[in-house]
Amino acid sequence: METGRWWDVLRMRFRSLAKRQRLERELDKELRYHIERQTEENIAAGMNAREAREAAARILGGVSQIEEECRDMRQTQYIDNFLQDLRYAVRMLGRGPAFAMVIVLTLALSIGANSAIFSVIDGVLLKPLPYPQAERIARVFYRSKAYPKFPVNPWDFLDFRARNRSFENFAMYTHADVQLSGTGSDPVKLSAFRISSGYFRVLGVQPARGREFDFSEERPGNGNVVILSDRVWRNQFGAAADILGRKVLLDSQPYTVAGVMPPGVDHPGNSYNSVAYGDTVDAWTPFTFDGNPNNRGAHYVEGIGRLRPGVTAEQAAADFNGIMTELASQHEGDKGWTIYMVPLFQEIVGPVHKMLLVLLGAVGLVLLIACVNAANLLLARAAARQKEIAVRAALGAGRGRLVRQMLAECLLISVLGGALGALLAIGGLRVLVYFLPPGFPRTDAIHVNGFVFAFTALVAVATGLFFGLVPAVQASQTDPQQGLRDGGRGSSESGRQTKLRAALVVGEVGLACLLLVGAGVLLRSFVNLLKTDPGFQPEHVLTAEIALPDATYKDKTAVADFYTRMLTNLSALPGTRSVGAGTDLPWTGYDENLGGFTIEGKTPPPNDEFHARYHTASPDYFRAVGIPLVWGRFFDERDKKDSQRTMIINDVMARRYWPGEDVIGKRITFDDKPKESDWFTVVGVVGDVKDKPESAGAEPAFWWPLMQQPFAFRSMTIALRANTDPTLLAESVRNVVRELDPSLAVAHVRLMDKIADENFSTPRFALFLVGLFAGLALVLAAIGIYGVISYSVSQRMHEFGMRVALGASSWNLLSMVMRQGVLLAAIGVVIGIGCALMFGGVLDSLLYGVSTRDPLTLVGVGAMAIATATLACLPSARRATGANPMTSLRAD
Amino acid sequence: MSKPSDLIQGTLDLLILKTIALGPMHGWAIAKRIQLVSKEVLQVTQGALYPALHRLEQQGWVRGEWRESESGREAKFYSLTKAGRVQLDKELEQWQRLSSAVVLVINAAQEA
Repeated sequence: METGRWWDVLRMRFRSLAKRQRLERELDKELRYHIERQTEENIAAGMNAREAREAAARILGGVSQIEEECRDMRQTQYIDNFLQDLRYAVRMLGRGPAFAMVIVLTLALSIGANSAIFSVIDGVLLKPLPYPQAERIARVFYRSKAYPKFPVNPWDFLDFRARNRSFENFAMYTHADVQLSGTGSDPVKLSAFRISSGYFRVLGVQPARGREFDFSEERPGNGNVVILSDRVWRNQFGAAADILGRKVLLDSQPYTVAGVMPPGVDHPGNSYNSVAYGDTVDAWTPFTFDGNPNNRGAHYVEGIGRLRPGVTAEQAAADFNGIMTELASQHEGDKGWTIYMVPLFQEIVGPVHKMLLVLLGAVGLVLLIACVNAANLLLARAAARQKEIAVRAALGAGRGRLVRQMLAECLLISVLGGALGALLAIGGLRVLVYFLPPGFPRTDAIHVNGFVFAFTALVAVATGLFFGLVPAVQASQTDPQQGLRDGGRGSSESGRQTKLRAALVVGEVGLACLLLVGAGVLLRSFVNLLKTDPGFQPEHVLTAEIALPDATYKDKTAVADFYTRMLTNLSALPGTRSVGAGTDLPWTGYDENLGGFTIEGKTPPPNDEFHARYHTASPDYFRAVGIPLVWGRFFDERDKKDSQRTMIINDVMARRYWPGEDVIGKRITFDDKPKESDWFTVVGVVGDVKDKPESAGAEPAFWWPLMQQPFAFRSMTIALRANTDPTLLAESVRNVVRELDPSLAVAHVRLMDKIADENFSTPRFALFLVGLFAGLALVLAAIGIYGVISYSVSQRMHEFGMRVALGASSWNLLSMVMRQGVLLAAIGVVIGIGCALMFGGVLDSLLYGVSTRDPLTLVGVGAMAIATATLACLPSARRATGANPMTSLRAD
Repeated sequence: MSKPSDLIQGTLDLLILKTIALGPMHGWAIAKRIQLVSKEVLQVTQGALYPALHRLEQQGWVRGEWRESESGREAKFYSLTKAGRVQLDKELEQWQRLSSAVVLVINAAQEA
């Protein structure tokens, strides 16, 4: 009931403001009605019409006075005053449009930048993941001393699923692209995953048509069913209504369509052979496997589960670790592992969390500088307006009213800045999202929405109050007598005000230095990354992926034969310098390890078996990718199927497992009881390539020759080094493959330097933005210095004239002014660099080969700030040299 | 004709609320009714009545509504809101406590 009343009150206040004219008419009508009734009564009592009307009007008393009193009852004078202040503010800003524009534009830039970055943070970090109760989804990994985050073994998965008490559903999935053919159009490669039953229940999504897989389909032989994405259903099957139960060809095998997912099912991301988070997956097939249940050494499936209500990821990890201990007592391969459980949200956004917060911090600093700058400029103007304020105070404006009036001006400025900033944010965000590094999570969740607008509005108002309060209070302390007395000569700043403005400029320079240090070390780090030898030569290399279906390429000989024939044909293409095929390319996230092999004559330390990245390569693979030979030889025609088994290792592997030895001729085997033919002999050592450019070092790695691979690698990447522009060869590559087997899809045709470049995009992105913000900060600081020095010079022109009269040279005056500005900047630099040394540590994890204490950067930033200050002082200093002694003498 | 200040502060509000508790009424009728019921003792001036009505409306105790009046013309009728009814009870209770206290004091003074 009380709320009902307040609703009424609110409605009335709104009416009082918004429908003022109607209320006035109604009030008028109400009082007129009263007079008419009174007149009628008077006539009935025997008066004539005129007497009656006059008597009635008399009884009512002064109509306008009653009306005024009724109006007062509306209690809206505060708002009326505010509107009056606002109109006044508009007039005042209109009088100095250049001044207003500088502040509005700087605020718009910084508020816009804040809103844009906040939009990204809102979409990536604040919005929940698009799964119901997504906070209950967790990812499960293994962890050991050597591997902080490792995939799960499928047999272990079955045990975990059966024994754990923490998850409502526990599922696994693994990346396994398939080739879809027989649809009438060209075969296409689909991004696909093999999943256990219950996978979609973990995510909390259901097929739009059909059903999810059940347990029986995990059994070998029952797994030829598929769930399609909405996209594939529409693009490849014309959204056929009778899709369920239809047979489709995946890798040339018939699969029955069991379901179609709704549009926009987001893949939760995976770390092993990673596919980006988002709507990136086209097909799901059941994960079926058999073989020896004691084989616990192979790790290639990703664990994901939905926690029971009230169970935390930590509790679940403890539960799983208990099971892991049981398993380790039964299986040799499970020894040495613990469970690493991480909430899905953290797993997805973790890699960018830090960078986004750093960007928000940087952009927040820019806003702070813009605020200080605005306060500074307003202070300068308040000094110039002292006379006007004194007049208003003398005419009886209360102090509160004066403060309110000044604040209204500041709010107007900041709201204009905010509105313009919101527009900038909308435009800027598009550019920002376009330049986001590839693989950046949740980009489709980034939008300017109501929340972002509310944030912008809040920032704008808070900004206005923040930068307006100091000048407003200062101005309200104007003594009317003093102000009026000074008025004739153009008022001068009080000493306190001058100090305040100097302090604000020092603060601006300090904050700008902080940002410059950030940008500087990011730049150094980026240069370090670029300078690092990648270990391969990405220029002029075309790459493409091919996957051979099991049905037509039954064994490793068939696979090796196909690739050999294809490579022969490709090398015959005009313009090809060298062409090779391998299981992977550098810097593409390949991280498949093989552990537990035997090195002839060596025993591994306990709990730290021999392990290395494993690959297959055709003879010319290293030449095509540009990985140099360090020792021995590349693969060649000697490495045939039945000849002596050979391998090539990388430098790190050579130095780690054979320190100080000549490794050529050393042998490795992957069998527990090797025959003589099971030994692989090292024939060459190649240069190291790190997993990513920013990795601390390369991992041990080896390559089997294509013809001797121990099992069939059906998916291979072609690398073709061209003499000229490699893009011209893309079509020829497709033709060569089509001639050999028209059912094959050539996927992911890309340039190697493009792939290499993508690996720099994240640091480049951070560098670009922080650099942009630092530049903006520097400009703002320059404006601040210019404003203070320019004002001080105009105040001191009289004094300068006197000095000239007393014999000061132009150079004396110039250096006097410059000294003043540079001193302010120098104090700012010291404070800023001090802060950078104190708080710079937050950046260190984003840096490569440099720290925030980098002396070169610190010195460079200091020099840059001083140089900028010098430039900002120069116009005012030159003005000072023009001081005319005659003017000064005459004025006195 | 008594001035508004002759009425004890707040009494006019009470009179208005009590009067329109019977049903929606326009300003003139409210004034007339108070005059009639009080046997011409209380005369509410228009100068006090309309500001009071507008204040009560702003406070959410009463609600104004344009309607055709008994004379056939449009007039602004005031009626009690739910909150106004509660407020009326509160003010009545206060008034009764106040007036009985005044009576007590007066009687005591006469006895003395």
